[in-house]
Amino acid sequence: MDTSIILNILENLFTVQTFIALFIGVVGGIIIGALPGLSSTMAVALLVPITFGMEPVAGLVMLTAIYTSATYGGSLASILLHTPGTPASAATALDGYQLTQRGMAAKAIGISTVSSMIGGFISGVALLFLAPPLAKLSLMFSAPEYFLLAIFGLTIIGSLSGASMVKGLASGVLGLLIGTIGIDILTGFPRYTFGSVSLESGISLVPALIGLFSLSQVFMMLEKKKGPKKEVVEQKLGKLLPERADMKKTLPTILRSSGLGVLVGILPGAGGDVGSWVGYNEAKRFSKNKHEFGKGSIEGIAGSEAANNAVTGGALIPLMTLGIPGSSTTAVLLGGLMIQGLVPGNELFTVNGHISYAVIIGFIVANILMGIVGLFGAKYFIKALKVPPNILITIIIILCILGSYAINNSMFDVYMMLFFGVLGYLMRKTGFSTAPVILGMILGPIAEKGLGQSMIMGQGHLVSFFFQRPISIVFMILILLALLSPFFLKMMQKKRATV
Amino acid sequence: MKKSLVMAVILVLSMALAACGKESNSAGKPDADFPKKPITLIVPWSAGGGTDTGARLLQPYLEDELGVTVNVVNKTGGGGWVGWNELANAKPDGYTIGLANSPHIITGYMNPALKRDKNLDDFIGLGMHVIDPDILAIRKDEKRFSTTEELVEYAKDHKLTVTATGEGTDEHLVILSFNKKYGTQFEAVHFDGAAESRAAVLGGHVDILIANAGEVLSLYKDKEIKVLGVASSKRSQFMEDVPTFEESGFEIYQESSRGLIAPKGLDSEVLAKLQEALEKAVNNEEHIQKMADLGYGVNYENGDDYMTVLKKDEEAVIDLKGLLGWE
Repeated sequence: MDTSIILNILENLFTVQTFIALFIGVVGGIIIGALPGLSSTMAVALLVPITFGMEPVAGLVMLTAIYTSATYGGSLASILLHTPGTPASAATALDGYQLTQRGMAAKAIGISTVSSMIGGFISGVALLFLAPPLAKLSLMFSAPEYFLLAIFGLTIIGSLSGASMVKGLASGVLGLLIGTIGIDILTGFPRYTFGSVSLESGISLVPALIGLFSLSQVFMMLEKKKGPKKEVVEQKLGKLLPERADMKKTLPTILRSSGLGVLVGILPGAGGDVGSWVGYNEAKRFSKNKHEFGKGSIEGIAGSEAANNAVTGGALIPLMTLGIPGSSTTAVLLGGLMIQGLVPGNELFTVNGHISYAVIIGFIVANILMGIVGLFGAKYFIKALKVPPNILITIIIILCILGSYAINNSMFDVYMMLFFGVLGYLMRKTGFSTAPVILGMILGPIAEKGLGQSMIMGQGHLVSFFFQRPISIVFMILILLALLSPFFLKMMQKKRATV
Repeated sequence: MKKSLVMAVILVLSMALAACGKESNSAGKPDADFPKKPITLIVPWSAGGGTDTGARLLQPYLEDELGVTVNVVNKTGGGGWVGWNELANAKPDGYTIGLANSPHIITGYMNPALKRDKNLDDFIGLGMHVIDPDILAIRKDEKRFSTTEELVEYAKDHKLTVTATGEGTDEHLVILSFNKKYGTQFEAVHFDGAAESRAAVLGGHVDILIANAGEVLSLYKDKEIKVLGVASSKRSQFMEDVPTFEESGFEIYQESSRGLIAPKGLDSEVLAKLQEALEKAVNNEEHIQKMADLGYGVNYENGDDYMTVLKKDEEAVIDLKGLLGWE
C-alpha cells in the first residue's frame, strides 16, 4: 500500500456522514441488542434498505457497527434481567444475573463491556491483517469438522447442569429433539411437522430463546411480586472501569475467548451463539475457580462476551474475501455489500480497497466507541432495575411478542414463544436448567447435518474418512479429553487423599 | 349463563367475519382507480438473500410505475411455501403480490411427503424478472478432468460428490439429469445454501460445484474456480468464454428463475395494470444495469409466457420424479 491509498482510505473514513453513521450504529446497536428479542441479525436486516441511499463507507460502517454493538448490547439485558437480548448472550445470563441479584450489576456490566470491546477489537485487527490466511483456514473445515465441533460443544452440557447431572442431560436431549423438527435437507422428509408449513423450517431459535429465558423470567417475577415483601437489591456503583484485580483475573480468559471467537467466526456454519458457549466453557475449563461458575463468575461473563464479539470480525473475514458469510448476521450484511455494488472477492480489496479498508478501520473504531459508550452508560443501564416491576414486566412482555413476531413476520413464532415460556417456567420450577435446551437446539442440527454430509462425502468409508483429516483428529482428541478429564481429576484427588 | 351468552356472541361474530372474508375473497372487486394504497410484495426468503436483494432493487422502479409504495415483506420458512401459502390465501385485489422462484415453488408441492394443497394453478403470472442458469464448476487445481466431456467420461466409472442445496432444488435436478441421461455417478451432498457449497468445493471437500451463475461470479472472476459448462441454451452474458452443455454435446438445461405472481382471481383490469407496470420497471435500463452489476441477468417475459415457463419447469420435475423418489 502506498501513501496515496492510505490517504484515500482516511479521506473516506473521516467524513461527517461516516462519523454520524458510526455513532448511530453504535448507540442504536446497543439499544436494539439490549431489547430482548431484537437480535443483531434483525437490526442489520432492518437497516440494509436504509443504507441503500448512503455513501458506501458510511452505510457499511453503520451496519458493521450495529452488528458488533448489538452483540454487546445483548449482554446488558442478560445481566440485568436474565432476558438475553440476543442468542449470543444467553451464556452471559448464567453468571451475569447472579451478580445482579447480589447487587453487583455494575461490576458485571463493566466486565462485559471491556471483554466485548477487547474481543471486537482483536477480531477487527485480525480482519485487517490476517484475513487471507484465516479465510484459507476456514476452508479446511467441512462437514466432519462441523459434526465434531458440535459434539465438542455438547460436552458443555455436563458443566451447565448444576446440581443434577441427570436433569441437565435430560434438558440437553430435549433441545436435541426439538432440533430435529422440520424438513431434513438431506432427504427432503418432513419430521414432526404435523402438516404445518411453519414447522417445516424447524422451530426458530429466537422465539424459543425468548420464551425459555425472558418470558419464563417474567413468570418468575410475577410470582415474586405476590410473595410476602418485595426486596430491592441495592446496587453498588463502582468506578467506570473494572478494578485492577478483576481485570487481572479475567484478562487471560478475555484473550483466549477472543481467539476462540475469531476462529468460530470464520466458520460459515457457526456464529455468535456457538462462539459464546465455546468461550464460556473454555473459560470454565481453564479457570482456577470452577465452583464460581453459574453462581456469578466474572470469568464466565468475560468468556462468553469476549467470544461473541470476536465472532463479529471473524465472520466478516470469509464474507469479504470469499463472499461466504461466517454467521447469519453477515449473511444479511452480504445483501448490504451487494446493494452498494460491492461484490466480495479480490476486487473488494484491490479495485474497491479504498472502501473496504475504510470499512474495516471503521469497524475497529466502532468497537472502541462501543466500549466507551458502554462504560459511561453503565450507571444508566442499571436504572432499568429501578423501574417498578409491573411496568418492567409489561415492557418485557411487549418486547417478547414483538421480537418473536418480527423474526419471520409470523404469528406462529409468537405462539411458539408462549409455549416455550410456559415450558421454561415449569422447567425452572422443577430444577431443570433451560440453557442446555438452547444449546441442544443450536448444536443438534449442526451435528446431524455434518454427520449426514460426511457419510456421503466419505463414500462408505466413514471411519477412515474422519481419521484422514487432521482437524478432525484434533477435535476427537479434544472431545475425549473433555469427557475423560473429570474422571482422571477425581482419581488423582482420591489418590492424594489416601496418601 | 353469562359465560355462555358471551361465547354465543363470539361464535356468531366470528362466523359472520369468516363469511365476509370468504365472499370478498372469491370476488376481487373491479377497481378503476387501482392502485390507491400501498402494495405488499411478499418475498418468501429472508432479508439480505439473493431473492430479497433482487426484489429490493426492483422495488423503487415498480413504485415509480405504480405511483404507490411497494412494501417488501419477508415471510420465510417451508422452502418458500410459508410465503406462497399466504399469497395464495390473500385477497386477490392486486394489493398483495409475491415473488416466485422456480423450481422451488414447483418442487415444494411435487414432494408428496409435504402434502401441499396448492399448486401453480392457484397463482397468476405477472411477469418474469430474472433468469439465472445453473453452472458446473471445479477447483482451479483439479487434475482429473478439465472439460465437461472429460468429467462425464470420468464420472461414468468413478463416484464423484457434487454440491446441491436440498432435495429437488435446481442443483439437484442437474445432478439427477446427468445421472439419468449420461450414466454419471454423481452423488449429491446437500448444503444449506450456495455459500456453504462454495466453501465445501474451495476447501476440496466436495468434487464438483453446481450453483447458479450469479452465485459464483466473483469466484469465477478471481479464477478461484473453473467453470466447465452452463445449463442453458445460450451462454451466460457474465461468462462468455464458458460453453453451454449443449455445445459440449449434453442436453442438460436447468435454470432458476424469479418472477412476480399474484393469487388467482385477480380482476382483469387490475392484472393488466400490474403487468404493464412490471414490464416497464423490469425493462428500465438503469434497473437492468444495476442488476447486471450484481450478476443477475434480467430477463423479462410477460405474465402468460412466465406461466408457460413455470409449466415447463413442472414437466421437467415430473420427468425426474422417479429419481427423486416422489412417485
